[in-house]
Amino acid sequence: MAAAKTSRASFATPLRILTAVPVCDGHDSAVTTINIELARHGLEVIYLGYHQAASAIVRAAIQEDANVVGISSYNGGHIVFFKEVVDQLKKSGNGDIPVFGGGGGTITHGDERLMKRQGTDRIFFAGTPLDDIMNLVKRDYARDAKPNAKFKGDRALARALTIAEENAMTVGGDYSKTSRPKAAPTVQKTGKAPGFVLGVAGPGGAGKSTLIDELTSRFLRSNPTGRIAILANDPSHPDTGGAILGDRVSAIYAQDDRVFFRSLATRGNLTGLSASAPAAIDILKKSGEFDLILVESVGVGQESDPFGIFGKAKKLVDASLFVLAPYYGGLIQLQKIALLNGADLVALNKCDHPMAHTARAEIQARLDQNGKDQMLYPTTAAKHFDPGVDHLFAAIATLAAKNS
Amino acid sequence: MSSLGRIAESVDHYNAHVAAEVARARTDKKFAAELRARWAKVQASVETTKSPTGTALPRLALPQTDEPGAIAEYLLGQGLPGEFPYANAAYREMYLDKGSSGEEPMRLFAGLGLAEDTNERFHYLSKNQKSLRLSTAFDGPTLYGMDSDAEGVLGKVGEGGVAIDTVEDMERLFAGFDLTRKDASVSMTMNAPAPVILAMFIAAAKRRFGADCVPNLRGTIQADMLKEVQAQNEVIFPIDASLRFLCDMIEWCVPNMPRWYPVSISGYHIAEAGATPVQQAAFTLSNGFTYAELLKARGCDVNEFGPRFSFFLDCGLDVEYLVLGRVCRSIWAIGMKEVFGANAKAQALKLHTQTSGRSLIAAEFQNNLTRTAVELMLAYMNYSNSCHSNSADEPFTTPTEKYALLASHGQSIIIEESGLFKHTMNLFGGAPGLLILERQVEKAILDVFREMDTLGGVLAAQEQRYQRSKIQEAGHNYEKQIYAHERPIIGLNKYISTEPMPSVPLARTSPKKQRLQVTRLKAFKKKNAAKAPEALQRLENVARHGGNVFDELVNTVEVCSLGQITGCLSHVVGKFRPMV
Repeated sequence: MAAAKTSRASFATPLRILTAVPVCDGHDSAVTTINIELARHGLEVIYLGYHQAASAIVRAAIQEDANVVGISSYNGGHIVFFKEVVDQLKKSGNGDIPVFGGGGGTITHGDERLMKRQGTDRIFFAGTPLDDIMNLVKRDYARDAKPNAKFKGDRALARALTIAEENAMTVGGDYSKTSRPKAAPTVQKTGKAPGFVLGVAGPGGAGKSTLIDELTSRFLRSNPTGRIAILANDPSHPDTGGAILGDRVSAIYAQDDRVFFRSLATRGNLTGLSASAPAAIDILKKSGEFDLILVESVGVGQESDPFGIFGKAKKLVDASLFVLAPYYGGLIQLQKIALLNGADLVALNKCDHPMAHTARAEIQARLDQNGKDQMLYPTTAAKHFDPGVDHLFAAIATLAAKNS
Repeated sequence: MSSLGRIAESVDHYNAHVAAEVARARTDKKFAAELRARWAKVQASVETTKSPTGTALPRLALPQTDEPGAIAEYLLGQGLPGEFPYANAAYREMYLDKGSSGEEPMRLFAGLGLAEDTNERFHYLSKNQKSLRLSTAFDGPTLYGMDSDAEGVLGKVGEGGVAIDTVEDMERLFAGFDLTRKDASVSMTMNAPAPVILAMFIAAAKRRFGADCVPNLRGTIQADMLKEVQAQNEVIFPIDASLRFLCDMIEWCVPNMPRWYPVSISGYHIAEAGATPVQQAAFTLSNGFTYAELLKARGCDVNEFGPRFSFFLDCGLDVEYLVLGRVCRSIWAIGMKEVFGANAKAQALKLHTQTSGRSLIAAEFQNNLTRTAVELMLAYMNYSNSCHSNSADEPFTTPTEKYALLASHGQSIIIEESGLFKHTMNLFGGAPGLLILERQVEKAILDVFREMDTLGGVLAAQEQRYQRSKIQEAGHNYEKQIYAHERPIIGLNKYISTEPMPSVPLARTSPKKQRLQVTRLKAFKKKNAAKAPEALQRLENVARHGGNVFDELVNTVEVCSLGQITGCLSHVVGKFRPMV
């Protein structure tokens, strides 16, 4: 891939922008258009969604180590809301992350003056050509992500991940060859266990993100003090280098300080994970912050092995979960999926689908052929409190306990 | 095949049937004679009137023909106003100036600040109305079922609509209005927490007018959860639970509130979010048919719930809006009749139209008066049963009094001042251009139905985010057309004025008022602290065991706030997981 093979000198790291719509506001038409345009211009857009509290925006900006936060507000209250976001960023020691916004005609020039005094960086008004917006964002919010000793907690961790992403790019996407041009800061807590790493893979549309979010809710309920990390890998656009990283939108349980959620664009790496994933996992483990680390691959095909399960090198994860939906295309297709031979756990999601009954029998037979100790869990992650997800979570917890 | 496929088929069959009947009228002498006899009767029944300048006019404009084929085409293809398939209108007479009888179609949407502020605006707007037609906009926290004292929402309290937390706010909202009047009607733009808000409305009315007032209450609550999932994004509970609570409310309203429309199937927000006129119509109608299916599956009678559906469309400046209401009425009528076996009352689509908010811009905002006037004209040409006209200052503020009044006068100028609608019904129907457009738009809507049918129907398509993708794609195209100057917008990308924007007064809610709302809410919670837990427990039990939640909500709202109630229900059914 062009992006991965180009040296850092000629290929700038994509700018990472977090976009969101404020609490009690569902107007996402403008932000959707802006997201598409930003990605088309080569930016990585982490979209948080509509109806987002200031605290949720701040949490996401920190964990994603966003260059900048863009807020699209259309139903009033923007003066108070933008100030709240800016103040919370400052108060948490992350005042270096600028905030800009837009609201068609709802934000007046008078409001803009006040909002700027209160720390908002810029307001875009109706009629500003999209290209102008893109150029200003690219010009003003690019930055060099250096280690920063002042960063604390999740931001320090997030910055370490950003640097890992950049390092991975400098060596053509092959992390094993990384010369560590900038050493990723370790955020190590001594004496803490590294946490259990579960890789989650499966074809696009199988419901991986929803299932991961439901597993997150089980984790939060069963473990009253621990933390969980999620590394959500999503593809970059092969031509523009941009990406819309939208997994946070549907991750309703990730809105909790005990959840560390990081979106990673693959930046041209075709293994199913960002080239930085090995380093990123390492950083998360070494931090000692997390009891459970979930690594979600991009949608994968028949021969993929994002977690290095079949290779001779050390596996990236402690265990892996393969997720698929009942409409995989019949028995012959099922035979071809390599990960069904290697995954420790298999979830047949969307079990409310009419084909689920047949699928379950076929997959069970497929796993029986392997003669390994693989377990199949029928789940319906979209259903609230699905007992299938409970069983799957219990199985993960058992594996984690064995591992430690 | 999902019912959508069958509906598309039934419209095709009906069109073929009309064509066959037209041919038969031209060959079958007996049939021709019957048609001529009926036509003569219709013509004889039309009253006449005179314009102020002395021109004699019929009260209803009919095609000037006695050719049996043309008669059949009109009577079967379009239908007389108030007759199947209702292309011309849902009722035989609309908009005509006939003295004091009849209600004006004007219904103005208002909501700002606290309940007493909106109440004051309601009194101001309705002072010249013959009938009492109120329409309520709620603020963000209320729309999302949150209390005004929830973390981080204070700045949103009373912004863009009225803040309602409790039954006491609801009492203040309608103070001084006799809601039991025969010509009173109250509309509420409220969706995810609609059952809670309607229960508060009922409770507030009972407190003022006595327990037996409920059957007299008249109005509409939007409660259209499908369009929320597809476009407007105000969803609290998972889709299944949202639909269940909605159906609970409709089931309760059908026998207990015979004058209430418990759902307003809305395309407005779909169009505002970006949809083309055809997509707006296709998604709105298909959502309506889905509600009919859901209620039928619960054992409800289509002839009882069908007449209680109302519809709400956006009207912008795109050419398709010339015919959108007409086409929607006939597709709805044919589908309800042929696929759902509904009777006449359940076939007639009752339409509220709002002019397009998206078409208004902040630059040179007085131009918005003209935009809105043109859109209103289109809305009336489609015989909307009620209309809201947007205020010219809407792109930057909750409407101020001045522009809200101008918007309402815009309607009066078209309906009362101009001679375009008050003398003769349907002066514009039947023009060749309209007929061409109608056929095109109808075909395009049915194509969308067929596409959704292949995806498994509305709910399956929604799960695959089909509607959302289409709406977002269309919205993105619209923006690109503006920036590429392919879609001229005067003052924005064409004839751009260099004058700075005039400073205009803004209707904003002061922090003092926002704090007052919180103080009131806390007082309410304190007063009911002993009773609330038990009421919530009862509600939880009903929700958990599959009972009719609305039945219990009517009691719960007496002592619990909106946020307490949605929190309790969320505890049972979970939270909505948003879609990108």
